[in-house]
Amino acid sequence: MKILVVEDEKGLAESITDYLSREGFVCEVANTFWQADEKISLYQYDCTIVDLTLPDGNGFDIIKTLKKIAAATGIIIISARNTLEDKLKGLEIGSDDYMTKPFHLSELNARVKSLIRRRNFGGNNDMTWKDIRVNLPARKVFIKDIETTLSKKEYDLLLYFLSNIDVALTKESIAEHLWGDNMDSADSLDMVYSHIKNLRRKIVEKGGKDYIQSIYGIGYKFTAP
Amino acid sequence: MKLLEKASRIYLIASLLIYVAVGIAFYWIINFMIYDEVESRLMVEKQDFETYVRANDTWSNNSYFVENKIEVVPVFGKFDNKVAFTDTLISNRYDETADPFRQLTFYTLIGGSPYRVAIRKSMIESYKLIEAISVAMIAFLGLLLVSTFLFHRVLSGKLWKPFYDSLARIKDFDWTKNKPLETVRSEITEFNELGDVMEKMASKMQHDYRSLREFTENASHEIQTPLALINARVEQFIQSKDLGENHTYWIEEIYHAARRMSRLNQGLLLLAKIENQQFTEQEELDLSELALNKLKDFEDILQHKDIRVSLQSAGSFRKVMSPALAEILLTNLINNAIRHNYTGGELRLESGVDYLQVSNTGNPLKSEPERLFERFKKESAGAESLGLGLAIVKQICDNCELRISYRYEEPVHSIRIML
Repeated sequence: MKILVVEDEKGLAESITDYLSREGFVCEVANTFWQADEKISLYQYDCTIVDLTLPDGNGFDIIKTLKKIAAATGIIIISARNTLEDKLKGLEIGSDDYMTKPFHLSELNARVKSLIRRRNFGGNNDMTWKDIRVNLPARKVFIKDIETTLSKKEYDLLLYFLSNIDVALTKESIAEHLWGDNMDSADSLDMVYSHIKNLRRKIVEKGGKDYIQSIYGIGYKFTAP
Repeated sequence: MKLLEKASRIYLIASLLIYVAVGIAFYWIINFMIYDEVESRLMVEKQDFETYVRANDTWSNNSYFVENKIEVVPVFGKFDNKVAFTDTLISNRYDETADPFRQLTFYTLIGGSPYRVAIRKSMIESYKLIEAISVAMIAFLGLLLVSTFLFHRVLSGKLWKPFYDSLARIKDFDWTKNKPLETVRSEITEFNELGDVMEKMASKMQHDYRSLREFTENASHEIQTPLALINARVEQFIQSKDLGENHTYWIEEIYHAARRMSRLNQGLLLLAKIENQQFTEQEELDLSELALNKLKDFEDILQHKDIRVSLQSAGSFRKVMSPALAEILLTNLINNAIRHNYTGGELRLESGVDYLQVSNTGNPLKSEPERLFERFKKESAGAESLGLGLAIVKQICDNCELRISYRYEEPVHSIRIML
């Protein structure tokens, strides 16, 4: 899977590529508009991550070009601009997702994976890891082939973990993934804790192992014990 | 009062006063001339009479006609030898009406004895003349008044038309849009100058608005990007396997501080944007229904904190405002009602045609209620709260011409927004 990261802030571009490379993606970076323009006309990418504000151009123009020459490429906008107009415009010209800076790398990772899944399989596939199998279109979860009923939030949480295997996730990133940006109270961290507890219980009940590992002070990691 | 109306009113009153004065003066002059004429004729007749009496020393009072009537009456006793003009009415001998006469009275000696002589002249003709002249004059002056008044109206209307057209365009002018202001050009230099000045001011306003907007956006970008970098680096850092307890604590602190700063920055930018009226889209919204939908987003946390929700609706609160602002307003109100609630508390949403009220149970305020809507006013020292939520709510209300009030009836805090 090849990913192009168009971002002028070199440190941030590096962080993104490091993180996504760990997940098995092949990443390339374009720091300027013209670099990006050149790369998209020369190579094929499965997904492009585009920053809107570039020193020598506008990210929207890159998206327009991409749509013309490689319509199958998934596009995720990352921008500091959080106005509704920008978000709507981004979706209108054909981007698949819009993330406002600062974002969590784990969230970006989850969205890239979900986007590639949708693009490649039309969503009609299973996600399998160890003895967990998730049937995405039906939103059904099987542990050792036994169906487990999860609440909507528990299901979202499990998918988030499955997209970020072996990755330390902060409590904040999990809370934001589940409830969005405006749930900023301390309560949401408690809620993360109780959802994790329930998910862990349900997996173990069906004979799965305890994959959720707590990391003191930081959050959780989904990993094979 | 409109300029044209005011001008015509002043014009009408002033010309009416002048015309009345002119009319009175004119009437007075004609009157004076006619009297002068009659009186000088009477004086001539007096001379004739005296010449006649001096020559004949007698007077036979035989005149029959009304005109040139001379009345000679003997006087006994003392008299004041004086020549005087008087107005008098003499009854007409045919139809018993009283006709006006001018009378000259004087005393003279006829045959050695004193007589009072009154020579009269009818004023009927003269009065008729005065009447005719007056009527004609009133008619002409009136006509003049009306025609100049109408002329003045039409003329001013024509002259001021470019001004009113420009005014209408200035009223329609929106500095948040890119369309420049174009005033109406005319032959009148002053109006053109005014137009030039207005156009210059309008383009300056648009320019300032644009640069302010760009500044807020750029500021947001410039601050959020390094924050994104801090966040990303922290996320990478926590992936390392050999972190000590101290390290994770420090990292957590850095991470929290960066996230707080980012939210603070976003909050302040939002306030600036509302202040600068950058949310221009307007739509009629049902705030009661929106609030109800918003509550659904908070289902999880309501359940988690075991907060009972009660709804009471006496009609839906409709308001034309920006959908983005309405969303922020309601989110902040509900968030506030949840954050300052206690576990097992209550949240009540009430709405009517002209108000929406969010109430929640909670501990009494520690500070003055008036300062509740100020920026960075925090009730609890909890690090999670930024102290901007209600300031944003207040700013949105001020901007959308909504009133907001706070009330506390133990243990319920209520915030009400009204038209």
